[in-house]
Amino acid sequence: MGCAPQPTHQDMKIILPDQGTRVIERGPVSVEKMLHELRINPLEVIVSRNGTLVPENAVVGADDEIRIIRISHGG
Amino acid sequence: MGRKKSPVDPPVCSLCEAPAVMNQQYSRRSLCSTHFINDVEERVFQVIEKKKMIRAGDRIAVALSGGKDSTALLLLLALHLPKWQDVSLIAVTVDEGIHGYRDETIRAAERVAENVGVEHSVVSFQDLFSDNLDTLLKGREEQACTVCGILRKKALIEGAKKVRATKIATGHNLNDEAQSVLMNVLRGDLPRLVRNSGIDTADSFLPRIKPLAEIPEKEVASYLFVKGMFLLLPECPYRGFALRADVRSMLSGLEHRNPGTMLRLMESRKKIEKYLEWEKVSGPLHRCRQCGDPCSGDLCQVCRLLLSLAR
Repeated sequence: MGCAPQPTHQDMKIILPDQGTRVIERGPVSVEKMLHELRINPLEVIVSRNGTLVPENAVVGADDEIRIIRISHGG
Repeated sequence: MGRKKSPVDPPVCSLCEAPAVMNQQYSRRSLCSTHFINDVEERVFQVIEKKKMIRAGDRIAVALSGGKDSTALLLLLALHLPKWQDVSLIAVTVDEGIHGYRDETIRAAERVAENVGVEHSVVSFQDLFSDNLDTLLKGREEQACTVCGILRKKALIEGAKKVRATKIATGHNLNDEAQSVLMNVLRGDLPRLVRNSGIDTADSFLPRIKPLAEIPEKEVASYLFVKGMFLLLPECPYRGFALRADVRSMLSGLEHRNPGTMLRLMESRKKIEKYLEWEKVSGPLHRCRQCGDPCSGDLCQVCRLLLSLAR
């Protein structure tokens, strides 16, 4: 039995604004592109990687814990 | 010879090469946490000084809902407080009585005020208007934001008077201000459109100041996050009813596709304000025959609203 092929991309786990999680099949990807794929306007959220705030041009990958936090609230 | 920058290299601060936490499109800079915090704190102080928002002897009632904007405002004012002579702060929270929402934000407000060592006072719709918002809105939920907006403003003024404040500071950010401009255009409300943005005294004898009015919402939230003070709080159950919800979404889409839209909107408002005379637009100032507050007609907005709610 041969070895399983190395994956060319990895799954990335993202914690969404509603606290749900989503796994997207992507290798390293910019925050901007990730938000675009999730149809989220970057101006309405902040994004953290492993608890640290990251700008839209940061590249995030499979080992990161990505959290997207919605910032627009009433009141 | 230095290594060529790769697209996967982490973005770095334009001022010190530490990892960036924020891209400011309008300043064309990326900033690390330290320089970003300094930048926000400095800009807020400059706005306060430029518009002469705070003077010696002022007692500032900081409208503190417990949400991100008012929390950031209280932190920033408390930080700069030693720079002003004989100025004091007091946090004022309005409890509208919104089940499943306001209790948690009031607790957050209490904690923030305690953390920064500022006295805290709560004023409620129940005490002022003999009913909470949930009860007042039964059967007219679609009017929630109009009713709440009018009564909350009144409650804040009464709360500020109670603690002998000389001014009220609110946490409106650039997005809030740009949304208001667009909403006033959509409603055809010229007096509100040109109301002075620096120190507003139009519907009260207590001037209102907005020190965060030039800071984008994302930067306010980011400032709190970097300072470890960002809290996830419940959303107001009535927010979907607001015209503001539609305008917020539309404007944020426009700003994303056309950066600078909000700033240009604010510039347009300034130009209109420059060429119009406030007195001519708003008409003569009267006193409400019921409560004596300044207003443009026979009855003020609050008394008119309370009469209609009693029907």
